[in-house]
This record gives sequence, structure tokens and C-alpha cells, in this order.
Amino acid sequence: MSAHTVAELMVARLAREFTDGTRAFNGAASFIPVAAFMLARATHAPGLTWCSGSIGVDAHPEAISASTIAAEMWEGATMLQSSPHDSWPYAGFGRLDTFCFRGVQIDPFGNVNNTIIGSHSAPRVRLPGGGGMADLGCLLPNVYLWSTTHDARTFVERLDHRSSMGWGDGGDHRERLGLPGGPRLCVTNLAVLDFHPESHRMRLQSVHPGVTVDDVTAATGFDLVIDGDVGETDPPTVEEVDLIRRLDPTSMRDLG
Amino acid sequence: MLGLGGLMMTGAPNRFCRELIRAGRTDLELVVMTGGMNVDWLVAAGAVRRVLTAIVSFEGYGLAPNFRRAVERGEIAVEDWSELTMLSAWRAATMGVPFMPTRAALGTDIAAGLPERMWTSTDERSGQTFTACAPLAPDVSVIHVHEADVLGNARVDPKLTWIDGELAKASRRVIVTAERIVDTDIFRAAPERTAIPGYAVDHVVHAPRGAWPSAMMPDYQHDAGFYRSYVAAAKDPGAFGALFRTLVA
Repeated sequence: MSAHTVAELMVARLAREFTDGTRAFNGAASFIPVAAFMLARATHAPGLTWCSGSIGVDAHPEAISASTIAAEMWEGATMLQSSPHDSWPYAGFGRLDTFCFRGVQIDPFGNVNNTIIGSHSAPRVRLPGGGGMADLGCLLPNVYLWSTTHDARTFVERLDHRSSMGWGDGGDHRERLGLPGGPRLCVTNLAVLDFHPESHRMRLQSVHPGVTVDDVTAATGFDLVIDGDVGETDPPTVEEVDLIRRLDPTSMRDLG
Repeated sequence: MLGLGGLMMTGAPNRFCRELIRAGRTDLELVVMTGGMNVDWLVAAGAVRRVLTAIVSFEGYGLAPNFRRAVERGEIAVEDWSELTMLSAWRAATMGVPFMPTRAALGTDIAAGLPERMWTSTDERSGQTFTACAPLAPDVSVIHVHEADVLGNARVDPKLTWIDGELAKASRRVIVTAERIVDTDIFRAAPERTAIPGYAVDHVVHAPRGAWPSAMMPDYQHDAGFYRSYVAAAKDPGAFGALFRTLVA
């Protein structure tokens, strides 16, 4: 068995973004982000706040379950927030600030489609729908994206449907709409991408060990911003891998 | 317009949905903010005309197969809401105002896809852009709980209602299905745990394991084996028909 899997690298890389000041919550089927919140809290960010499934405040589940919105995931919580109206308003002044999305399609500005491939009049693939993406993408200043399928079908120039607002049409689009922050980072199975500070177009930050810049550009359906040297993503430490495997003994992270 | 509670793989009123199928209901218009197996069953049975939803998810078990197929074939209509636009529309209905403003869904394709339901507007005084959500009130909603009494008082254990409490407020009539029917004294002993007041509930139905195969913790987890075999069977109409007739309705 290799020292770590790609999913473990993604968890560890995402976890490094979070700090003691992070106030995070999560949605459905969010195994990699949940593992990252738990890993960050168990290592460098013990003060991180995580509302499990948006419901269980500061939960300490034994292990990641087959649903990331499930009662076994809010064991040990200090409060169960019993309605979106009990928790989402705390985003208003940034007292909740962090969420992670994945998308079946992601565009250069970090907008996400999880609704439909094709059009509503002629759908080719019906997807689950955006859930609260359209809401939290507008309300929260810190959105992180992840994808386990970095290919030209996922990373597309134009979405078939914009389920959530990232940097919108780029530039100051969010600011014009009065929206805070925006997508910070996108962690994929090949690379780590951030966003150019002015155009807000996706920029290649690092490639994972064994992956080349050409591999990433070939797997991306739009032109990435590449300025300066592209580094290599730091692999997880032995301690991090060990912790991830204990937090997620059934490898739910392999589902993304 | 029929509202269904539940949070994807948790607490969905699935036994009630099976009875709807057995009763041969068709042409339903569903309001299911966070759906899953409930939507897929009703669609599989041909009971649905339209679904108003933010998400229909089986999480890691794959796409909801019958929902997916029916949409792709154009057999049912879907209105793609987000959670907060739907919550805002429910709130507009309960407050008796023509719309509820929210920052939700700005910059997305959601409002443009539902022009009858919501629109983007700019406030003249502040200059702020917002999404205006027109009132939405299901005619009747079904909510599954752990315990109810004959008066309709309802609670979940531990206290978790998520969208269910909001759905109850926004619905003209409310049906509660309950794992257990208990004495009203149980409610009086711990009134802070009551999630829906009896005066808001029109009908109470005793429905043990009423959320299956979704979870109703701490009583039972979601039935992983059922989700897996259901998704696998859906690839073959014969196998799916047999499973559906035997285990669902």
C-alpha cells in the first residue's frame, strides 16, 4: 500500500486551509471536507468550530458515517440547531463563515453546477440539485471547492446551469451584488487551484506529486491562469494519514 | 400541492408515501426541499406530475434512479429551488406579504428558471440587489416524528426538525406520522422538547418505522443495504419491479 491515497492528500491539503478562527459547517455527501475539518481540529486548529451536518455544534463523532448529515455524525455536540433559521442567520455577521462544495461542473470562476447536464427542456443527466449551494455561495465569505474528477467534462468554460455563485462573471461581480468574499481554493485529485486576485479566474497553485502542469492543463476544459512557478502539493505527513484513517475507518473519503 | 418533510436520508415520511402509492394516487405536485427515497418511490409509481425541490439525494449511494430517468425522459417537471429561496417563500406565505427578500441565489440561474416564483430586484432606498420570493404554501404536508399524542403535539428525539418545523408553519394542513403515540403527560413533563404544537396538526397517524429506509435516530439508522440493492435493481426493470412490489408498495 502506498504511503497515502489521493483522497488522503486532498483531505490533508484542505485541512491546512483551516485555522482556529474557522467557523465551518457542511452539507450532504461531503466526506473529504468533513474529514478535513476533523483533521484540522485534531492537529493545528484545535479551536476550529465545526457544525456537523449544519446541525450538531462542535460535534465529536467517533467515525465518519455513510451520510454526512446524520445523527451519528453529531454525537457529542453542544447544541443541535433545529432549523436553518437557527443557524444560517449566524452567517450574517460572519459568525459562520466556511463551507465546501463540489460540483459535477465547475467553471473558471468557481461557479458550480450540480443541477442538470444539458438543458431543462432537453436534459441529458438529471443531477441531485444544488441544495443550499445557491444560498451559502452568496452568504459565506469562505467557500472551498473540491473535485475527485479533474477532467474536461467537470472543469468547463461554461456551466449548463449555475447552481451556486462563485466569483460569478469574474472581476468585481460579487462586490456589485453586495456579496462577501468568494471561493478561496479548489482542491482536486490532480492539483490545487486558487483564484487570481483581480480577474478571479482559476489559477494553478500546485500540482500533486507525480502530476505535471501539462497533465492539469490537458484535463481542464478552460485556460487556467499560470503565473510564476507552479509548486508541488505538500503530501500529507505520516501522522496526518494515520489520523485520517482513524477518523474515517471505512474510507468514505474515497467517495469524495 | 403536497409537502414532504425529512432531510434526504433522515426522517422522511416514507411509510406515508408507500400508502399514497397503494392508494393509487397520481398527478401529485410535491414540495420536497430536501428529498431522497420519498421522491424516487412516488416517481417510480407514476404518482408525480411536478417536484419543487432544492435537492433529491441518496448521498454516496448514487443518483436517485427513477427521479433521474423520469426527468430525463420529460415525464415529470422539476422546479429547481434552493433551500433558502424555498424557506423565504414559505415565510412570505406565513407572514402574508407579497414576497420575501433574500440574498440567496443572487448571480445563479435559479430565479431566471422560476419566473413565477421569484425574481431579482433592487431596493430603491439602499440600492441593494435581492431575490424576491413569492409566497409558497403547500396544501398539506406530512412530517414524520418520534412521538405524538392524540392532540397532535409532536416531538423528535433528539430535538431535530431542521426543515420540518418550517414546513409545518407554511402548510395549510399538517399530517404527523409518528413512531409512537404517547400520553399527553409525556409532553407536559418536558414541554421544551415539543417541536410542533398540537393546535397546528390536523391528523396524527401511528407509523412505526415510518421513516424507513431513511434514518430515525436513535431508533434506527438509514438502511444501507436497501439503498444499495435499490440502486442496483433500478438498472433492470424486471428486478426493480420485483423489489418495489415486495418491499415498497
